[in-house]
Amino acid sequence: MNAAEIRPNEAAAALEQVRLHQEQVFITPPFPGWFWPGLGALNVAFTAAVETGHPAMVATGAVAFAAGLGAIIVVSIRKRPLQLRNDLLGARGGLAIGGFVAALVALGIGLAFALRAAGAPMPGTVANVAVAVAMALLGPLLGRRLQRIMSDTAAKALR
Amino acid sequence: MTAARFDELIHAPTRLAIVSLLAATDWAEFRYLKETVDLSDSALSKQLSTLEEAGYAEVRKGFVGKRPRTTVRLTPAGRGAFSQHVAALQQIVARAGETILPGPA
Repeated sequence: MNAAEIRPNEAAAALEQVRLHQEQVFITPPFPGWFWPGLGALNVAFTAAVETGHPAMVATGAVAFAAGLGAIIVVSIRKRPLQLRNDLLGARGGLAIGGFVAALVALGIGLAFALRAAGAPMPGTVANVAVAVAMALLGPLLGRRLQRIMSDTAAKALR
Repeated sequence: MTAARFDELIHAPTRLAIVSLLAATDWAEFRYLKETVDLSDSALSKQLSTLEEAGYAEVRKGFVGKRPRTTVRLTPAGRGAFSQHVAALQQIVARAGETILPGPA
């Protein structure tokens, strides 16, 4: 079979098949379900260790944080069945990730300063609990947003 | 702009499915491909061998901890051939569009 033997409706059907197959790839969640809660919990534990003010606790917390973060990243990478093409994210994906990080940082710092001004004990830890909850709730939404952006970029190439 | 080149090897329905999936990824696990395209181990291996022989795909066997893991990726030549094939399909569809457009009055 060559190009001259392909009818336009067959070519259109093949393009639709390509689109449908590629869409399946973008359904696969980019992070396992425990990724965001795990990251949040690690962050809270580290901040709590720092806020105790004991050098031994801070040092232990720092080492545990680094080890935990490394483990979360390595296990989530090992468990995924595929690696999506990062170039499909483009500027929109970069903005979505940047916005997500900026919102979490703003929430954490803003809340910590407000709690400290109000005289609350361990303001950083309490603020990071809120950040961890936000991560657990919004992380999967970010994942879906990134999937949608990648899917749109791949589909555009087929039009 | 990608040059259009119809590729008979890619156009076969099963291989079109495999290459379409791989084109959206840097790599995919053999097991994932098998389940997604709904093929047996041997049928997928056969299709991948054809793609490997054409220089379009690369199969890597390794271990994750103690678990064996086989991953598949498109080579640059495979990505290029897929893009050119898609461009050829788009060209066929576009030409048909032109033929049904009304001519100048």
